[in-house]
Amino acid sequence: MSYLPCGQYFENYREDQKWWRTPFIKAKMVFMVLALVSFPALVDSQWLSVAYTINYYILAALGVQLLIGYCGQITLGHAAFVAVGAYCSAMMVLFIPWPQFMVDVGLAYPVSMITAGFAAGFWSVLFGLPSARVKGFYLIMTTMAAQWITVPLVITQYVSQIGGRGQAFSIPPGTIKIGPIAIDESSMLGSWEVSGDMKLYFFSLLLVGLCLVAMGNLLRSKIGRAWIAIRDNDIAAETMGVNIVGYKLLAFFVAGFFAGIAGSFYVSTLSFVSPEHYEWFYSLLWVGIILIGGVGSIQGLVFGSAFVVLVFKFLEMAVLGASDMLMESYPHLGWMTTKFIFFKESAFGLAIIFFLIYEPNGLSYRYWQLKNYFNLWPFSYTGK
Amino acid sequence: MKRILLVCFGIMLVFCSNAFSADEIKVGSINDLTGATSDVGKDAALGIREAFTYVNDSGGINGKRVKLILQDYGYRIPEAHTLYKRFRSQDKVNILLQWGTGDTEALSPTVNKDKMVTISDSLSGHLCDPAKTPYNFIYSTDYSTNARAALTAWYEEVWKKSDKWKKAREAGQKPKLACFYMFAAPYCSAPIKAIKDQAALLGIDVLKDQDVSLTALDAKSQVLGAKGEGANIIWHGNTTMSVATAVKDAYALQLEADHIMNNWGFDKNLVRMTGPAGEGVIGCASCAFLGDDVPYMDKVIEYTQKVNPAVSLEKRDIRTVQAWVKVSLACAGLQRADKAGKLDGPGIKASLESLRDWYPFDKENALGRPPTTITSTDHRPSPVSLLYTIKDGKITFFTKINMKEKFPDKWQSWLGW
Amino acid sequence: MDLFLQLAITGVMLGSIFALLALGWVLIYKCSGVLNLAMGELTLIGGYVCLAFYQRLVTAMPVTYAFILALIGTLIVGLILGLLTERIFLRKMIGEPILAVIMVTVGLSFFFKGMVFIIWDTDTQVFYPQVFPIEPLVIFGIAIGRVYLWSFIAALVLMVMFICFFKFTRWGLSMQACADDEMAALSLGVSAKFVYALAWGIAFMAAGVGGTLLGNINGLNYSVSSLGLLVLPVVVFGGLNSVPGAIVGGITIGLLQNLAGGYLDYYFPGGIKEIAPFIFMVIFLLFKPYGLWGWERIERV
Repeated sequence: MSYLPCGQYFENYREDQKWWRTPFIKAKMVFMVLALVSFPALVDSQWLSVAYTINYYILAALGVQLLIGYCGQITLGHAAFVAVGAYCSAMMVLFIPWPQFMVDVGLAYPVSMITAGFAAGFWSVLFGLPSARVKGFYLIMTTMAAQWITVPLVITQYVSQIGGRGQAFSIPPGTIKIGPIAIDESSMLGSWEVSGDMKLYFFSLLLVGLCLVAMGNLLRSKIGRAWIAIRDNDIAAETMGVNIVGYKLLAFFVAGFFAGIAGSFYVSTLSFVSPEHYEWFYSLLWVGIILIGGVGSIQGLVFGSAFVVLVFKFLEMAVLGASDMLMESYPHLGWMTTKFIFFKESAFGLAIIFFLIYEPNGLSYRYWQLKNYFNLWPFSYTGK
Repeated sequence: MKRILLVCFGIMLVFCSNAFSADEIKVGSINDLTGATSDVGKDAALGIREAFTYVNDSGGINGKRVKLILQDYGYRIPEAHTLYKRFRSQDKVNILLQWGTGDTEALSPTVNKDKMVTISDSLSGHLCDPAKTPYNFIYSTDYSTNARAALTAWYEEVWKKSDKWKKAREAGQKPKLACFYMFAAPYCSAPIKAIKDQAALLGIDVLKDQDVSLTALDAKSQVLGAKGEGANIIWHGNTTMSVATAVKDAYALQLEADHIMNNWGFDKNLVRMTGPAGEGVIGCASCAFLGDDVPYMDKVIEYTQKVNPAVSLEKRDIRTVQAWVKVSLACAGLQRADKAGKLDGPGIKASLESLRDWYPFDKENALGRPPTTITSTDHRPSPVSLLYTIKDGKITFFTKINMKEKFPDKWQSWLGW
Repeated sequence: MDLFLQLAITGVMLGSIFALLALGWVLIYKCSGVLNLAMGELTLIGGYVCLAFYQRLVTAMPVTYAFILALIGTLIVGLILGLLTERIFLRKMIGEPILAVIMVTVGLSFFFKGMVFIIWDTDTQVFYPQVFPIEPLVIFGIAIGRVYLWSFIAALVLMVMFICFFKFTRWGLSMQACADDEMAALSLGVSAKFVYALAWGIAFMAAGVGGTLLGNINGLNYSVSSLGLLVLPVVVFGGLNSVPGAIVGGITIGLLQNLAGGYLDYYFPGGIKEIAPFIFMVIFLLFKPYGLWGWERIERV
């Protein structure tokens, strides 16, 4: 987010950490906002759903980035916290008898979203508690246990049994409302005659904006500096007087809070929530996203999410789109389309491996290089 | 990089330019080829493709060709949602064929709002109440009726007659029922309430349920649990693979109980996998088994060889026949709706609800399916349950029960269980 | 009491297979410091490879010979795959941060799982004709499945073989040396690269045997990989770098899992059997953060 013309130097820390350091950054931001707002006018609705999936991944991986990239606490169970948020939100909207006036003004969902954030945050702190005693691989194991305990046991076996037979919670169209506007994926209700996808797109954009700003602000405050100190060397941080247990737990709470918001948002894009939306695969996927995007970088989060979602989308279009043709013209190749899901999985696995081997700094590093190149352009020195 | 982009672009062009002809009826089908129920799902998917090929070969639907779009969803509810959105918005299908109970029930509110008629392989009784799910249809006797029928048949034919239970019977002991199923899978839990109700009706004690996963490779502790409580009869609510596991483990641990199972857990594969352990189990079936002597079976077998010659007939099973029943019901709905000129959701719904004593392809006893009657107040296709058993390593007909005739005063109240 | 004994015996026997897998895991960790999350998939591959051999061989010879030959074939294929995996994917990761290495193994697990299902499909596949007869062995009124008994014996024999390998062979000693002090081992002429490769080869072989035994119980499908994942609570319980810990841990977890399935299921219906080892692990970690016999690391700034 920085572009400094040659010869501009800051004199103190405050100036260096400012949001708007140069007019160019302001212009860039305005341009970006314009581009994002006009995006729906340029594409059809399936790309809008791709866009809000990217936004969902950004929100969900935000907590992972905070824990791994800024606080050094490795988590492989983040889908559990997202699931807690999603179920909390869905159940509040579906089962709590809201007073009529709150339904009318559409407060139920926003209230449930905040609650979901807190619920997921506290759930996350619960599984972060061992971080006071263990670290490294043992901590990874406890976060993995969070996944196993939350999703296949608590949510599948107990929560899902509420009001039925272990089925997904259907969310009838028109249930999720913010103010007077129903924002479900399939709804055209509400006072605005815009498609559900577009409402969801803007809603997700708003949430991502808010959360990224909140995260950015946290990171340039005292808390963020403490987290980074813990990441770099926790023992050194402790000798410097940082309360490492407190800050670690705070990191777990904030990460869980973002996960809760993400889960709560995702509910609005679905017709139902089921435990299968939160399998271990997603926990790993989000760690994969930050590795692909770049550990310890907020832009990296955006790049990683966009990369993963778009690659999956293109693979899907290529394979599923060609499936009819394959089936008809080359029946002996038909098996490829039926096993698409496994090709996708294998490809994702290889992608992670090769990123880690050949691009260990992630996409954000390339972005940084590119930016530096243009910083000094046309007199840039490429280094070779 | 450029080349990859070009290839992607080329592929996109190919499927964007798929010529759209007006005289085409589109059918979307969500199937499980790779997931937890793929043991029965693959055969069914092949059958659907073959049945539609037959429909097109024999003149289509009032002369219109059917275009089948069949996709795998791996028994994962989220994938079903993605596929449904695609079918609805991009492909604009006329009718939807679904597979699992979980996804069919989860999508039900959306489907009903979109007025999309769906016919599901999930025969869950919960989808049969038009007051709640007007656009959901099933093609065969529902799970709850099947479960009630199987338990009744066992009680009347085995418990009351066989030598095996003579001692217990004469000692005045009540039979004990244990249910083996995956708690978290809606398919498995769908008929549980009904079978327990039926047990109470017949005077059978109900033991603690045992959780057996759909992909279980080991059911020892569950079998031991049932053995400890002295179960006489076990209801298996899963699909073939895990039913086979449980039956084998019951045999290995010498559990002296009889087994009854739902229609997705009973087929040729079960016979092959259980061997001696499977002797005497009783299972529900939706229609005749592949190769039975009923009308249209020759067509089924002919098309298995014509469309999928690579899959040997040995590996095909009753699922193919079930798929033909499903497809023929879909086509019956489409045909009548098309004749009336209303090929949309409400039109197809109305035409399906006008079926009275209907047989597949309008031929009596075709595919061994009892007559189907669907009304606008009751979507249960039939009160008749077909029961088969394994005798000397062969699937043999056991009995046929009409639950409506047997319990005329209860039948209406069982709607939507 | 009868129920308890039956559950306990089955648990111990199943646990011996976990112990075998855990041995492979600990070996990799000791020698190269790699925390391997792909153990479940290695097990899966082993099981399917053996099945593929068995199905081809059984048409030509008696069941017993076919099975033994298939098992030997699995070991050879496992060794080759292990060497290849190490060479292609993991050698480049030496010295990288822990998360990166773990994520490489996660990537491997996705890759392997996808490949297994592309090649062998997702149906449950059984060893047919059955290797071990289905009729149980009744000892003092307790029915024990023959598969379990043979798995137990096979796992014990293999463990003894592994331990002898470490104690008495040149390669095994060089692995131990490398695990203890890599620098010293290097300066004495032990090739670390060779040791890493060998560790992966052996892990693949252990997983192959484990997968074969698990597959013989009732068949193979993707839930075998989640059984393989149980190796993680096992090694955490025993301590990451302790061979006896892996064996004790494996048997304990097998026992615990079966007892939980038998008794706790009544109070917490559904799924407790699969999750119990993980719950146990978290609670255990709070009291003994380094497992039973794991090395406690002293950290300095």
